[in-house]
Amino acid sequence: MKGDKARDDKLLPIPEIDKVIHEPARLTIMAYLFVVESADFLFLQRQTGLTWGNLSSHISKLERAGYIEVTKEFLDKKPHTALQLTNRGRTAFQEYRRSMKQIFNKLPKP
Amino acid sequence: MNEKINLKEIERKAYTSYHQDGIIDIFIALFILSLAASIIADMIWLGWIFFIIAAPIYATAKRIITVPRIGFVKLPQQRIKIIQTIAVLLGVLSVALGLVTFIQVESGNKPTWLVFAIENYMPVIGVSLATAFSVVGYALRAKRLYAYAMLALVTFVPGHFLHFPLHYYMFLLGTLILLLGLTMMIRFVRRYPLSATDTTGASNNER
Repeated sequence: MKGDKARDDKLLPIPEIDKVIHEPARLTIMAYLFVVESADFLFLQRQTGLTWGNLSSHISKLERAGYIEVTKEFLDKKPHTALQLTNRGRTAFQEYRRSMKQIFNKLPKP
Repeated sequence: MNEKINLKEIERKAYTSYHQDGIIDIFIALFILSLAASIIADMIWLGWIFFIIAAPIYATAKRIITVPRIGFVKLPQQRIKIIQTIAVLLGVLSVALGLVTFIQVESGNKPTWLVFAIENYMPVIGVSLATAFSVVGYALRAKRLYAYAMLALVTFVPGHFLHFPLHYYMFLLGTLILLLGLTMMIRFVRRYPLSATDTTGASNNER
């Protein structure tokens, strides 16, 4: 139909969104790890307000995607888990930001 | 919602959460108070000994009070490195200036700026303290240190006209900052009780 074709011409191709990062809780975790060198579980839990179980689950997903590196070490003879973004994670986050900016910049004005 | 992630705000929050424990405020206050006490005891080196031993004590206080409550974070070091570079340059300039001044004074030729500084030592101290507070506030992103800078100016500049002994103003400023620091620490400890879970995410009850 002529109306449908006119609408289709206005639709812009939306780039592939990284669904691993796009989830709000994981996006918040990635954002915090992006602005620091490394952080531990407790710091992320305090900053994001997520429950321990929720945080652990999201971090596992990010680790499986290769975006986060989890290092277990000892700090003052106490076990300590440090989390930091991998190079791949930093690149993926920056790409995600670019994609989202592109989407909203290219939306037609109402 | 996702596009509203403000990285600058998140970075600011990460910095400020790590320095809302009041520890830096308490240490600054104790340093000022120790300098005041050393003036009274006529042992000016005493205050500087505190300055030297403060760093390891500060690190220990962070480890015992802050880290178990809000976790451990390694903040980006760019700002700190810039400040350190500036501090080293200023230190070298100060030593050079001190040497030149010493030589001039020894040769019986007091420089004008030195005479001015001695005659107006209260505002000079106030401005120096204000500058130091501002630099540390910028490095740590602790806006309250800019308020301490204003407090230093308000305390010392009028002192030029009031003619009370120097240590009075130092005790006043040190006490005010100490009270603020202690208040912050009490609020911090109440807001962030010790976590039942350690930094690995494992419950302390499971040990």
